[in-house]
Amino acid sequence: MTRPAATHAIAIETRALTKRYGGIDVVRDVSLRLPVGSRTALLGANGAGKTTLLALLSTLVSPTSGDATVEGYPLAGKPAALRRVIGILGHQPMLYEDMSAAENLRLFGRLYGVLDASTRVEELLRLVGLWTRRDERVSVLSRGTHQRIALARALLHRPHILLADEPETGLDPEGLVLLDEVALASPGLTVVAASHRVDRVEAWATGLVRLQRGRVVEDTASVPHAEAVGA
Amino acid sequence: MNAGLAVIMKDLRLAWRDRAGWTTAGAFAMIAVLVYSFAFDLAVGDPRPLLPGVLWTTFLFAGVFASGPTVQRETDEGTFDALLLAPVPPTVIYLGKAIANLIALLVIEFAVLAVATILFGIALLTTTIVGIVIVGTAGFVSLTTLLSTLGASTRARGMLLPVLALPLLIPLLLAAVRATGAALDVEPEAAPWSLLLGVFALWSALIATILFPLAVER
Amino acid sequence: MSLLRWVYGTRWVVLPPLAGVGVMVMIIGALVVAPREAIEGDVQRILYVHFPSILAAYLSFAIVFVASLVVLFKRDLRWDAAARAAASVGVLFTGITLGTGMFWGKPIWGVYWTWDARLTSTLVLFLIYVAYLLARAVADELDEQAARFAAVFAIIGALDIPLVVMSVEWWRTLHPQPIVFRGLERPALPNEMLFVLLVGFGGITLLALWLMTLRGEAERLAQRSAALRAGLDRNEVV
Repeated sequence: MTRPAATHAIAIETRALTKRYGGIDVVRDVSLRLPVGSRTALLGANGAGKTTLLALLSTLVSPTSGDATVEGYPLAGKPAALRRVIGILGHQPMLYEDMSAAENLRLFGRLYGVLDASTRVEELLRLVGLWTRRDERVSVLSRGTHQRIALARALLHRPHILLADEPETGLDPEGLVLLDEVALASPGLTVVAASHRVDRVEAWATGLVRLQRGRVVEDTASVPHAEAVGA
Repeated sequence: MNAGLAVIMKDLRLAWRDRAGWTTAGAFAMIAVLVYSFAFDLAVGDPRPLLPGVLWTTFLFAGVFASGPTVQRETDEGTFDALLLAPVPPTVIYLGKAIANLIALLVIEFAVLAVATILFGIALLTTTIVGIVIVGTAGFVSLTTLLSTLGASTRARGMLLPVLALPLLIPLLLAAVRATGAALDVEPEAAPWSLLLGVFALWSALIATILFPLAVER
Repeated sequence: MSLLRWVYGTRWVVLPPLAGVGVMVMIIGALVVAPREAIEGDVQRILYVHFPSILAAYLSFAIVFVASLVVLFKRDLRWDAAARAAASVGVLFTGITLGTGMFWGKPIWGVYWTWDARLTSTLVLFLIYVAYLLARAVADELDEQAARFAAVFAIIGALDIPLVVMSVEWWRTLHPQPIVFRGLERPALPNEMLFVLLVGFGGITLLALWLMTLRGEAERLAQRSAALRAGLDRNEVV
């Protein structure tokens, strides 16, 4: 990444971010300052608010109160420019099962306005080891393969920030190595990934955020204000 | 624009790959026309007074039933979220679905018109009737696509969609049936039905494109 | 806003007695004060319920429309409760209008139902809001997605009404058909009749508003109990 570090020293900043769903605060008062290039593991039990926090950061869901900026763009208004710097890796692969891997990637390449789409698609399919199976329909491929295509899709438009929700789901040991290599521990990429596998987190995370009932109960990932300015 | 085209092509490709749904809708439309012919004795005597109603109720039911499943899969597979996350306006996503649905339905409808032309010996594929069918279908597809897209993420599925869509579509049904009747020379065009049809199509397209982005907010 | 809140705060004191008195005066007025209509006879007294009911229904549907806009733009579920309450009351009074209309129509026209333009569009109106209630009823009280979906449907429904009225009007008046009755034109009402009608209008409107607040409070309580249950599931006191 060639951008000057000082202007974007903080990649993700949230201020008292709260999301109320069905009468309870699924995410409550979450304030984080995650620097560029940091790799944050989001930990917590099921229902602690990890998925909702990621949905908020990805602009899929609007906050009930509080606000956040991602790479300096405010979440409110959901600017396209903000969406373009975010890559998403869900626990569901989010792929069209009646289309091939290549077709899925080409579609999202066009939606994200990737200029060199065809070379980029080839590059990524080779990276995740699926170039030879690129024209098979997604529905006939295995769960682990789906997750590899999803990984390729997440990185397709060269995002600066990767938001991942339990990305290990369905991956074999080989796939896990790949995941760490190209995504979670990839240098330059700012990562926020929810996980319930603490053993796996040590391999890539530079900081932890632990959620409990929507609140942050432990945060070793954020940097305080003063330090961020100097960084 | 490029993104819009990509969405439309994607939806058409999926409609083609997942033909089972649309083939069923087509088969349903054909069988409905047959059932009506037996029920109303269309084979005997002049079928023209009843034919517009038969055709349009068939089109409406086929359209309402067919618009659900495609959107349902999109929601279940999570791809709807993926689309919403992409840097394209939600309106584009909606238009892609609506246009793909429109094209798929028009194919079915023209097939029905062709078959009915043969069965009843009445020329149905005339310019006027084709025009009425295109405008009328655009009018109801924009609403059924909106309702089924939004309904897919709630439990409002299946049987509920016809209950929701059909009362709203009564003006369209009246206009389309009467305009088709006038085109078949069974009645004078006593009111500007074609105009109403056009107004309804514009109204529903406009309202759906305005409401869709607001409605998919979460 | 604070004035509005104050007015809303007086609802339990103001609405029940006023609505009660209004409706009672209307009933007495309709049965005793108002003169017997010369041509139609006693059955015409249905007018004093029939006409105010449809106006109350229109008022309710207007409230559904406004509340639905607020749900969509402000994402506040209190307005969802208001919209549902108003829709239930609107459906109730549309039903009363259609029902009383039938009992009025039978002796006068000889049939319970005729595909008259006004009757037909009222029936469509009824169906649209029944559909709205169904759309909302399939989901939980606190399901924001379902609330938005229902709000979209209510807005489309409201904007559809002019088209329904216009198309049905053309259909019935310009499409050849046997004439069943000669419309509702009647000479200007005598003063006593007008007075009872106005009282009926006031009473039934207040009754509708009271029912709406009751229903709305019930919806709010349902939402809050759902929220409490959700909180309990998370071992949390809300």
